[in-house]
Amino acid sequence: MKLALVALLLPVAMLRAESVADKCKAEQRHGRTNAANMCFTGLVRSSDAFTRAEGYFGLGEFESANEEFRTAYKAQPRSAEVKAEWGRLYLEHYQPTDAAKLFTEALESDPSYAPAYVGLARVFAERFDKRAPDLAREALKQNPKFFAAHELLAYLALEDGDRKAAGEEAQQALTISNEALDAMAVLASMDWLDDKPQSEWMDRILKINPVYGEAYETGGHFLEINYRYEDAIALYRKALALNGRLWSARSELGVNLMRLGREEEAREQLERAYAAHYRNPETVNSLRLLDSLRDYQTFKTPATELVLNKKEAALLRPYFEPELQRAISTYERKYKMKLPGPVRLEVYPNHDDFVVRTLGLPGQGGLLGVTFGQVVAMDSPSARPPGQLNWGSTMWHELSHVFVLTATHHSVPRWFTEGLAVHEEGAAAPDWGSRLTPEIVSALAKNDLLPVTRLDRGFVRPEFPGQVLVSYYQAGKICDYIAQKWGDDALLGMIHSYAARKTTADAIQENLHENPESFDKEFSAWLKTETGDAVKSFAEWKQNVKAAHAAFADGKTDDAIRIAKTWRDRYREYVGDGSLYELLAQAYLRKNDKTAAITQLARYRDEGGTSVASLTKLSELQSETGRIKDAELALVKLTYIYPEDEQIHHMLAKLALASGDTSTAIRESQAALVLNPANTAETHFQLAQALKAAKRLNEAKDQVLLSLEAAPDYKPAQQLLLQLSQ
Amino acid sequence: MRALLLVLVAAACSLRAATYYVTVAGLGGTPEYEAQFAKWAAELQKELEKAGASGAQNVMLRGNTATRAALEQAFERVAAEAKPEDELAVFLIGHGTFDGTDYKFNLPGPDISAAELARCLDQIPAGRQLVVNMSSASGASVAALSRKGRIVIAATKSGTERNATVFPRYWIDGMRDPAADQDKNGTLTTLELYRYTTRKTAAYFEAEKLLATEHPMLSDKASAAAVRDPSPENGQGLLAARFAILQPAHETAKNLGPEKQRLITQKEDLEGQIDRLKYAKAAMDPEEYKRELTTLLLELARTQAEIDR
Repeated sequence: MKLALVALLLPVAMLRAESVADKCKAEQRHGRTNAANMCFTGLVRSSDAFTRAEGYFGLGEFESANEEFRTAYKAQPRSAEVKAEWGRLYLEHYQPTDAAKLFTEALESDPSYAPAYVGLARVFAERFDKRAPDLAREALKQNPKFFAAHELLAYLALEDGDRKAAGEEAQQALTISNEALDAMAVLASMDWLDDKPQSEWMDRILKINPVYGEAYETGGHFLEINYRYEDAIALYRKALALNGRLWSARSELGVNLMRLGREEEAREQLERAYAAHYRNPETVNSLRLLDSLRDYQTFKTPATELVLNKKEAALLRPYFEPELQRAISTYERKYKMKLPGPVRLEVYPNHDDFVVRTLGLPGQGGLLGVTFGQVVAMDSPSARPPGQLNWGSTMWHELSHVFVLTATHHSVPRWFTEGLAVHEEGAAAPDWGSRLTPEIVSALAKNDLLPVTRLDRGFVRPEFPGQVLVSYYQAGKICDYIAQKWGDDALLGMIHSYAARKTTADAIQENLHENPESFDKEFSAWLKTETGDAVKSFAEWKQNVKAAHAAFADGKTDDAIRIAKTWRDRYREYVGDGSLYELLAQAYLRKNDKTAAITQLARYRDEGGTSVASLTKLSELQSETGRIKDAELALVKLTYIYPEDEQIHHMLAKLALASGDTSTAIRESQAALVLNPANTAETHFQLAQALKAAKRLNEAKDQVLLSLEAAPDYKPAQQLLLQLSQ
Repeated sequence: MRALLLVLVAAACSLRAATYYVTVAGLGGTPEYEAQFAKWAAELQKELEKAGASGAQNVMLRGNTATRAALEQAFERVAAEAKPEDELAVFLIGHGTFDGTDYKFNLPGPDISAAELARCLDQIPAGRQLVVNMSSASGASVAALSRKGRIVIAATKSGTERNATVFPRYWIDGMRDPAADQDKNGTLTTLELYRYTTRKTAAYFEAEKLLATEHPMLSDKASAAAVRDPSPENGQGLLAARFAILQPAHETAKNLGPEKQRLITQKEDLEGQIDRLKYAKAAMDPEEYKRELTTLLLELARTQAEIDR
C-alpha cells in the first residue's frame, strides 16, 4: 500500500484545536522540510510525552517516538488520539499487526474516532482485504468531512480497477480539501495508467508540495499491480528525484528492478534503503534473495535464459530448456508475434525465495509462478511435495502471460491474462489446466461467479475464501468458451483490443459482437451444461464416495465398484484424494482385473490426476501387460510432476530402451544418475546400453566402466564391456 | 576394505558359521502402530526366511508375546547355542523413550533399557553381532550397546528424536530391492543396506517437505562415536561391510574342480587389485587410473566368463 501517511495528518487537526504538532505537520505537508524538521525538533523538548512522541515521529526517529508513545499511553490511557497515532507509527514501521491492535484499542476508547477507522482500513488494505473499504466508509459515517477516508476509498477503487468510483471518491476528497494530495495522486495515477505522462494533477500536487514524491510512488504502485513494471520503475525514479529520502519508493524501485532481472542496480537500491534503516520485509527478503542468487546458474540460448539452482541444474535443464523453447515457438505461431528479447525463467527450489518475488502483489495465495514482463519466476518441482506442482503446466501458463503482457504493452485486465493462461495450459495438454475442485463446485452452486467486467475484483480483493481460485477457474472457462464458440482468433482479437487500451466491455463488443451482459448470460448457460451434473448432485456424490470407500474397506468389493461406477461420471473432473478412479482401480486389482484397473487409472491420468503412486501404478500395470508405449506415457507425465524421483527415470529409461527410443533412454538414465541413485552400477549400465544403441560407443564404454567401478562383479556390465572391447 | 570383506565372507562360508536373528515388534500403544510394527516385523522375518534363516535361528516376538521376559529367554536360548564364530542380528521395531539418562525400548509390561539389552547380548558368544534399533529415540541406545565386534545402528541420532520412525519401512524395502546391493555381487551387506535405508529415509522427508525427525547413525568401532556416513576417513563401516544381511547360497571352493578353483582365486585377486586401485584413485593421474581400471575390469570380466562357461 503506497498511500502516503501525510494524508492522515491533516484531518486530525480538523477534529480538535490545532496543536503545535499540527503546525509542524502542515510544514511537512507543504514540502518545507527544513522548517518541518526545526518544528519537530522543538516538539521533542516539550514536557508532554505525546508531543515529544509526535516530534520524534516527525523526525523519523522511530525508537524514541515509540518510547514516548509508550509513556503517553500510560499517562492518557483513554486517549484514542494517542493510540491511533502510535498505531500510525507502527504501520509506518511495517508492523501492521501491532498497528491494528492500537487502532482497535483507539476505537474501543472512542468508537467515533475516524482516524482510527482509516488506520485500521489501511492495515487491511495492505493485505488486499475486503474489510478495508467498509472501515473507510465507517470513518465517513463518523466524520463526513474526513477526506482521508475518501482518498483511501479512491485508492482501493482504483486497485479494483473501478475507475469511476476511484474518480468520484477522489473528487469528493478534493471538495472537502483542495490540498488532498493523495486524492490528486490517484487521479494522476489514472492518467499514467492511460499513458498520459504529463498529468495536470501532478502539476497541482507540486504547487502545494514541490517534493511530494509520494504521488509518483502511488502511481508506481498502480502500474506495478497492472504488471507495468518498467513504467513503475520510471515513476519510482521520479519519486526519488523529488525526494531522495523516500525510502519506501527506493525499496520498491529495488524490488521491481530485481523482478526484471537487473540484479546489480536492484541490490544497490535495496542496500541504500537498508542502510537508511528502511528494513521492511520486502527490502530484507529481496536482499536475501539476491544473496542466494550466487547459488544459481544461468543457461542462455538466443531465445531463453534459464536460471536454475546449481543443486538441481543438471537434473532440470534437459527438461526445462526444450520445454521453454517449445512453448515460445508455439505461442509465437499462435499469437503471431515475436518477443523483443529472450525470456528469463527463474526456478526456485526454495518456496520462500519464490515468495519474495510475489511480495506486494494481490491474489498471490497458492501461486506457483509469476511473470514480470519477460522474466518468469516459478517454484521448482522440488519446492512442493510430489504431485502438487506440474512444472510444465506452470511454465506454459506463465509463458502465456509473457506474450499477452508484451502484446498489450501490459494493459490487460488480470482476469483475461489469467484466463487465457489457464486456457493455454489445457491447449498444451488436455490433462493440464484448471480443475473443477470441490471449492469451485460449491461456488458454482451458490452462483458465486462475478460478471466478466468485474471479474478482476475476484483476483484483487476476494470476498470469500478461495475466490481467487474460483476466479482463475471462471476466467479460464470464459476463454475456453470464447475459443470454442468464436475461435482462437477472437481471443487474439481481444488481445489487440486491450493493446489499444479498450475496456473489457469494448473488447467483448468488438470481438464477440455482443454486450457483456449477454455474454455473461450465455457463458453462464454454457458453464451449466459443462458442470451441471457435478453441481446438482454434489451433496449426494459426496455421500456416495464415502459409501464406496466404506464398502471397499469392508471387503465388499462388488458393492464398491457398483457405487463408484454409478457416481464417478457425475463429477468426472474430481481427481483429488480418494477419487473414484483410484478406488475403482484398487477394487479391480483386488479382483485381479488389471485391464479394468488400467482403464480407470488412465482416465484418472487424462482428467489431470497427479498422485505419484497412482500414476506409477498405472505405468507398472501397463508395462506388465505389454502396453509399453502407454506405460512410457504415464512415466513421461510423472517427469512433469516428480522429476526428483530416480525410480521414475530409471523405469522410463528401461522402457524407452526396450522400445528403441534411445534419446529418451539416454536422457532418463542421465537424469537418474544426477539423482545419485542407490543403484549406481545399474544406472550407468543402463546409460551404457542406451549409448551403445545410439552407436555412441566410446561414451558407452565410459559408462560401463563407471558401472563396473561401482560393482566389479556386475555380470551384465562385464558382458557389455567385453562386447564393447572387441 | 572390499578385498578383506570377500576373504572373510568366503572364510565364513567354508566354516559354515550360523547367523541367529531376533526380530522384535515392541509395544505400539495404538492399534495402528501395533499393527504396523507387527507387520514390519513379519515382513522382515519373511525376507530372512527367504534367504534361508529358519526355525530357532530366526525368532520373532511381537504383540503381547514380546515381553521383556520373553526377549530375555530368546537371548538365553541363542546364548546356549551360538559359538564364537557365529553371528547374531537383532532388529528392534517400535517405540523407544529417553528420559535424559536412560533409553528404553517399549514392550508390553516392563520395558527393556539399553544397558539391560547390552547385558543380554554380552552373554551371547557370537563373535560378530549386529543390533539395528529402529525405534524412536534409539540414538540414545548406541553408547550402551557399542562393543568390540558389534555393529550398532540406530534410526535416530539422539534420544531427543522422539517421533515414530519410517526407518523400518526402508530397511525392509532394501532387503527386497536389488538396487540395495550396490556392488552387485549378490550379497547384501549391513553397510549397503544401512546406506540404502539412510538415503531413502532422507528422501522421504525431502519429498514430503517435512523437517526430518530421524537421522540414522551407525557405529561399528566401539571406541568411536556413531556416524551418519561411515567411511574409511572416519573409520566406521568396516565391520558393517563384512556383515552380510542376505547372501545367496555359496558353492564352497573345495567342491569345485582345480581349474575353477584357480579361476576363483584369480578372480578374487583381481577384485583385490581393483579395490586397491580405487583407493589410490585420488592420488593418480585420471588417464592412468582409467587405463589400469579398464585393464583389470576386462580381465575380471574374462575370468568371470571363464568361470560361468
